[in-house]
Amino acid sequence: MFLTFALITLLGALALTFQRNLVVAGLCLVVTFLGVAGLFLLLANPVAAALQMIVYSGAIVVLVLFVIMLLNSHQEETRRHNHLLQRGLAVLAALALAAGAVKVVLASPVLKALDRTPMPGPMDLNQLGLALFSDHMVAFEVAGLLLLAAMIGAVALVKRDL
Amino acid sequence: MNPVHSLLCGGLQGYILVALLLFVIGLFTVLNRRSALMQFMGVELMLNSANVALLAFARFRGGDVQGTVFYLFIIAVAACEAAVGLALVVGLFRHRQTTDTDRADALKQ
Amino acid sequence: MLKLAWLIPILPLLGCAFNGLLGRKAGKAAVTVVALGVMLGSLALAGLAFFAAKAAPGGRLDLFYFDWVAVGHLKVPFGLVIDPLSSVMALVITGIGTLIHLYSVGYMWEEEGYARYFCYLNLFVFFMLLLVLGSSLPLLFVGWEGVGLCSYLLIGYYFETDFAPAAGLKAFLFNRVGDLGMTMGMLALFAAFGTLTVSEILVQAGHLAPEAAVGVLTFATLMMFVGATGKSAQIPLFLWLPDAMAGPTPVSALIHAATMVTSGIYLICRLAPVFVLTPITLTTVAWVGGATALFAATIGLFQRDIKKVLAYSTVSQLGYMFLGLGTAGFAAGFLHLFTHAWFKALLFLGAGSVIHGMHHQQDLFKMGGLKAKMPITFITMLIATLCIMGFPGTSGFFSKDEILYLTYLKSPVLYVMGLAGAACTAFYMWRLMGLAFWGTPRDHHAYDHCHESPATMTIALSVLAVGALLAGLLGIPKVWGGTFAIEGWLEPALTYGRAGAEPAAEAGSAGLAWGLMALSTTVAIASGLTGFLIYRKGTASEEAFALKFPGLYRVLANKYYLDEGVEAFLLAPVRWVSNLLWKFFDVIIIDGVGLNLPGAVTRVAGDLTARAQTGRVRNYALGMAAGAVLLLWIFLK
Repeated sequence: MFLTFALITLLGALALTFQRNLVVAGLCLVVTFLGVAGLFLLLANPVAAALQMIVYSGAIVVLVLFVIMLLNSHQEETRRHNHLLQRGLAVLAALALAAGAVKVVLASPVLKALDRTPMPGPMDLNQLGLALFSDHMVAFEVAGLLLLAAMIGAVALVKRDL
Repeated sequence: MNPVHSLLCGGLQGYILVALLLFVIGLFTVLNRRSALMQFMGVELMLNSANVALLAFARFRGGDVQGTVFYLFIIAVAACEAAVGLALVVGLFRHRQTTDTDRADALKQ
Repeated sequence: MLKLAWLIPILPLLGCAFNGLLGRKAGKAAVTVVALGVMLGSLALAGLAFFAAKAAPGGRLDLFYFDWVAVGHLKVPFGLVIDPLSSVMALVITGIGTLIHLYSVGYMWEEEGYARYFCYLNLFVFFMLLLVLGSSLPLLFVGWEGVGLCSYLLIGYYFETDFAPAAGLKAFLFNRVGDLGMTMGMLALFAAFGTLTVSEILVQAGHLAPEAAVGVLTFATLMMFVGATGKSAQIPLFLWLPDAMAGPTPVSALIHAATMVTSGIYLICRLAPVFVLTPITLTTVAWVGGATALFAATIGLFQRDIKKVLAYSTVSQLGYMFLGLGTAGFAAGFLHLFTHAWFKALLFLGAGSVIHGMHHQQDLFKMGGLKAKMPITFITMLIATLCIMGFPGTSGFFSKDEILYLTYLKSPVLYVMGLAGAACTAFYMWRLMGLAFWGTPRDHHAYDHCHESPATMTIALSVLAVGALLAGLLGIPKVWGGTFAIEGWLEPALTYGRAGAEPAAEAGSAGLAWGLMALSTTVAIASGLTGFLIYRKGTASEEAFALKFPGLYRVLANKYYLDEGVEAFLLAPVRWVSNLLWKFFDVIIIDGVGLNLPGAVTRVAGDLTARAQTGRVRNYALGMAAGAVLLLWIFLK
């Protein structure tokens, strides 16, 4: 199961990277999010999986597709210069990071130790709510403020005249 | 456990590896694509990889609820970022009639 | 009471300060009173000091005021020495100086910078007195440099002309070359004796065996002589003196006849016990002096400017003084310095009187017949001419003949040179007199307006004339029944510190002395008479001579083209090398490679590095990613 969802995620992401058409890329993003939600389920966290689908694929991807349609930029424009250096170095950096990641993960003793923890019970919304509103009250309020600020900021940025 | 077994059967190493590879792909998307919206999607990929890693660690530390709480806040921040970022893209488009970030090089020396 | 001797140099300094700072506001009368007042005060004090020193034990007063320099082994006291040598010089400076100040009142009354003139003149007297009264060589050197400075200031007095400041600079630069020698001499003396106080040097020198440490001492004395050459205008550093005539005439009289140029002779007399130990230097001094005496006299033969004739005459007479010193006849050389101060100052002031009367006409070829119009000037200049040519009985006669006698004993060749110089001297002096005072006037306009000079000037002339005649009394030789008083008088100074017995005196006979005296008198009178007879009729003979021997005439009249030679062989190559150094080293290497190259490199490097600033976000993101990769690589290694 894990392998399936992992492959869905990664292949979706790869598809996203190499997709020319932006709308299709948005849909690939949805697929990726789907894979991630599946992974969350395997991690005994149905709450997170649900939230992932609702917020990410339901809101954020919609927003992105909205903007794509608004700006009518289905295709990426043709490039003016070749940017060989940038592309080459980007590939190199990505490969290096990936290789490093694999190496680290496979060799880490910490991860090996933690691997033996038994599967806990699934995450409870009740439990989540209690923790959120008692231990992390301040952060919750601040997050609310942040959302407000972001809203105002977004509106301010696109208004033609204030 | 055999690391390959762990990888294939949903051990911690597997999740972390997925997270890291997802991050790398997201980074590559940001570096390689010129459209601002594609770069935004790459950023979302990177955020999600962080989410995966976070929740994987939460599960393997005995179902810690703090992991999910933090995940919640990450979603909140991602939403804000999406709103403001897309507003910026719209603003950029208004000025330059393009979403190509390579055209936004007014700070060039 | 004796300690007040420090006022002798300080009074003129105060006069300088007043005249310099307040002179213009205070007005000409105040400036005159102050300038003359300090001079008279200084003269009075110098006279008192003279008598005080005479009465003191050993004939000298050593006055110590404070430790000036005390560094390691070097201890230089600030003190004054009043002994026969310095007190006579101080009297000459203040005495003739006062007369010249008086003369200047009349001469410079119409000038714009009246206060400035007297400020500089007082400053000069201050430095000159420091020079002669100083007890240590550094203090002497302060005075030495100071008089050079004042000479520059006074020569360049008419600073609005092109010529005068250049002449002042020329004088200063030639002096500087000599000063280098002086400094090296002082250093060598310090190395040899460990002290720069004159009395200590002389005492140590007196105790040295004649052959000891000759190398260092010879070097020291030779270098000192080089310094003297610069100051006293001997070959090869005399080219500045004729140009120095650009300054006002009283300046020429005081500085370039009586006092500053005699500093070199004074220096050698001061260090006589050291010079006696180095016969090589003495021979050099004698030959340079003799050569200069003859050489300068030949140039003076055909000069048209009245002051230039006297300038070359001064160089020549200074040569005689050095000639005397070089034969170890220090007293004789100093006597000539003394007598020369009187009659040369008189000659210059008389020439100034003529120039003043002729409204600044200096060309001899435009004068003539002035003896009717300017009788006092005429008579005083006549007296001075008789002195300088060595007419029997005058002061110049005694001093010059003593020198020539001693020269003959040293080297007959030198004697012949000296005699030839004396002949030229008589000739050009009578040429000057004939052209100026006899014959028909050649510039009628100036002649008509000519009149005798005011009293301030004629009084000075008269006093100097009396002095010129009487100065010889100090040096009446033994063959005439006198005692050559100056020698005995100066002995305590000239032989200070000598421990052993006196060196044997030069052998000579009375007959030789009379013979030489007769010879030189005959030669002088003959050539003087020739000059007079030729030139009292005017310039026709000289113009004919110039046509008959154009090459010779031009060479002599143009001072052997020495200035042109210096320009071509010394200055032009230096300028060429400097130009080359500038064009190549300065512009290309220092500016180009040193300055511009780093700048260009920085700019290019900056331009290249600025290419990384593309303004594109993804490029910057790539930079961050690359940095992250690097860090990870470092941490995981």
